[in-house]
Amino acid sequence: MSLFDIWLGILQGLGTTAAVTAYGLVFAVPFALVFGIAQYLTQGVARLLVTGVIEFWRSSAVIILLFIFYYALPVVGITLSAMTVSAMVLGLNAGGYASQAVRAGLQALPPGQREAGAALGLSRPAILLLIELPQALVAMSPTFVNTLIQLVKATALVSLVTLTDMTFRAKEIAQVEYNPVAIYTALLLAFFVVCYPIALAGRWLEARVAAPGSRSRGI
Amino acid sequence: MGFDLAFALSSVPTILGAVGTTLCVALVSCIGAAAIGFFFEMVRRAGGIAGLTVGFVIDFIRSTPVLAWLYFLYFVLPFYGIRLGSMTVGVMGLSLYYSGYLAEVFKAGIDAIPKGQSEAARALSLSRRDAVIHVIAPQMLRNIAAPLGNYFVSILKATPYLAVLAVPEMLGRAFDIASETYRYTEPLVVAGLIFLALALVISHGVKRLERRLLAVGAR
Amino acid sequence: MSAQSDTIVDIQGLNKWFGALHVLKDVDLTVACGSRVVVCGPSGSGKSTLIRCINGLESYQQGALRLAGTTLGLNARETASARRQTGMVFQSFNLFPHLTVLSNCTLALRRVAGRSRGEAQDIAMAHLEKVRIPEKAMSYPGQLSGGQQQRVAIARALCLNPRIMLFDEPTSALDPEMIKEVLDVMVALARDGMTMVCVTHEMGFAREVADQVVFMDGGCILDRAPARDFFGSAGHPRSRLFLDTILKH
Ligand SMILES: Nc1ncnc2c1ncn2[C@@H]1O[C@H](COP(=O)(O)OP(=O)(O)OP(=O)(O)O)[C@@H](O)[C@H]1O
Ligand SMILES: [Mg+2]
Repeated sequence: MSLFDIWLGILQGLGTTAAVTAYGLVFAVPFALVFGIAQYLTQGVARLLVTGVIEFWRSSAVIILLFIFYYALPVVGITLSAMTVSAMVLGLNAGGYASQAVRAGLQALPPGQREAGAALGLSRPAILLLIELPQALVAMSPTFVNTLIQLVKATALVSLVTLTDMTFRAKEIAQVEYNPVAIYTALLLAFFVVCYPIALAGRWLEARVAAPGSRSRGI
Repeated sequence: MGFDLAFALSSVPTILGAVGTTLCVALVSCIGAAAIGFFFEMVRRAGGIAGLTVGFVIDFIRSTPVLAWLYFLYFVLPFYGIRLGSMTVGVMGLSLYYSGYLAEVFKAGIDAIPKGQSEAARALSLSRRDAVIHVIAPQMLRNIAAPLGNYFVSILKATPYLAVLAVPEMLGRAFDIASETYRYTEPLVVAGLIFLALALVISHGVKRLERRLLAVGAR
Repeated sequence: MSAQSDTIVDIQGLNKWFGALHVLKDVDLTVACGSRVVVCGPSGSGKSTLIRCINGLESYQQGALRLAGTTLGLNARETASARRQTGMVFQSFNLFPHLTVLSNCTLALRRVAGRSRGEAQDIAMAHLEKVRIPEKAMSYPGQLSGGQQQRVAIARALCLNPRIMLFDEPTSALDPEMIKEVLDVMVALARDGMTMVCVTHEMGFAREVADQVVFMDGGCILDRAPARDFFGSAGHPRSRLFLDTILKH
């Protein structure tokens, strides 16, 4: 097999990689919004609970979470497909990261915005929805793009729980063909052609967002 | 079946026995990543063909999953007759992968130093070398301390990836217990909790450090 | 020969471009030792660029700029030693935030002038006293007010014992109540006979100490006059207009 054939063979796993990513976003986006906003709005015990959930998903080692849910859920009688478990774990992990961007974006808004909304007689939910969120989400959009890239890359893990993604395909091909250089170069390239355009889009977005006086310090 | 707490507790000492290996791998990888990342950033800063090339290498690394890099090194190096222990390969993989991120940390740390600082150094007739040693480097170190600490946590959480290369770190130990007893849940949960605890404790330390640095650095 | 020795800055037909942008156009300026030149003009007129050319922070493309007898930009070593005759104070202070006030002042004394720690500290303390802030020697810049920081910056620049001090809008980043403490230090410096080139819009200061006021616009020196005449009725219509606007508020 030529490098190109190998590459095509690996790209047969692209469907699974894309499916896990898309399915993962179904978990990540709502989690990030709900928990990011909740962490911003709550105080005291409620905030502690919200933070606890976020930190569990964000600060755990994602590979171990994946194995735990893959092996442990059936033990307690919950059987989910490997796809669903993967999408959930990778998605909520990414969502945990993104929730911090949502919270930071909301906190970074000058308090005058909220006060101006209140002065116009808007209710708290209306202020959040019409004034705060639109600004925060725009400011945080480059971070979301980064999280998306992290999610795509994290899908390589699903090869460890038997899903035939690109990484799994690479290992399959490696069993019939002893050409590690070509195979693993092709694997890296396959991820590169998926992630690099997203990264470029993110950079473009960042340049546009950063323009009007937003002091993004990155970290 | 359910969760057997006694069994879980009995697995703690074995898994905890690998915490030293895990921390060591993470620390050495972090140092390696910082060294490579700093080198990358210096070359990129210098510009020219070499700078552009390294810039592309950084983007490439950041667009590809760490698991793919681990496989790449693990299978490709022996193909060229380079036989290294799996631990060495693992550390190399993590160092290489995270160097792409640490290069960005160094970039941000240097870019955040106002231009006036090196101008003031020049106006005071300090030599280029003295300006770097006494003016630029100390401020850069302060800027990167917190992000570097956060990446140490990331690297720590990535060490279980080395289990796929059969490095005897904590996840590897957990799987050893699992395959002997056919019980996956308990050892995996124990390993997961230890990682979570380590990550939270170190992150907390980093946050405190950051606050102290910010207090001193107020301009 | 004698004319040269009492001229510290001699600029002839200076031209500078930033890419395609022509920022200094045929600028001529001489600064005699012991004299005080105030440069004013609207934003973007090239004031900062001119003053930064004088100590070689910016290079130039055409003309000649002689500082203390050395033509800048010909020879790196001579340029560096000529720069040592200058001290510069920036609009944004540019103190080193990781060093104490005292270390800010001793850094160049130790690394450039090769003084011992003790000597350097004595010199630095003397200058901190001159700017009336010796009690803050052990503080960090972040703990000081803007006016205090700028006075430290002046002391830091004085430590190498420069023959000419360059100021680029030293008070325009300051709150009004702090402007006076900095200007007082600068006036005292002028009284001591220090040669100064100062970009500022503080016309009271200009009136009090300047020998010569230079008005720049669009990269050209449009008007130059002894302070008395500049503030009198004579002068270029463009600089009259400028004076009227800034003196009004
Ligand atoms: N490093 C640079 N690169 C490109 N253009 C520059 C640079 N520095 C200054 N300029 C441009 O050169 C022109 C003169 O700038 P300069 O800073 O000297 O003006 P100025 O008179 O000091 O104005 P201000 O009162 O705002 O400080 C401006 O149009 C400015 O945009
Ligand atoms: Mg200026």
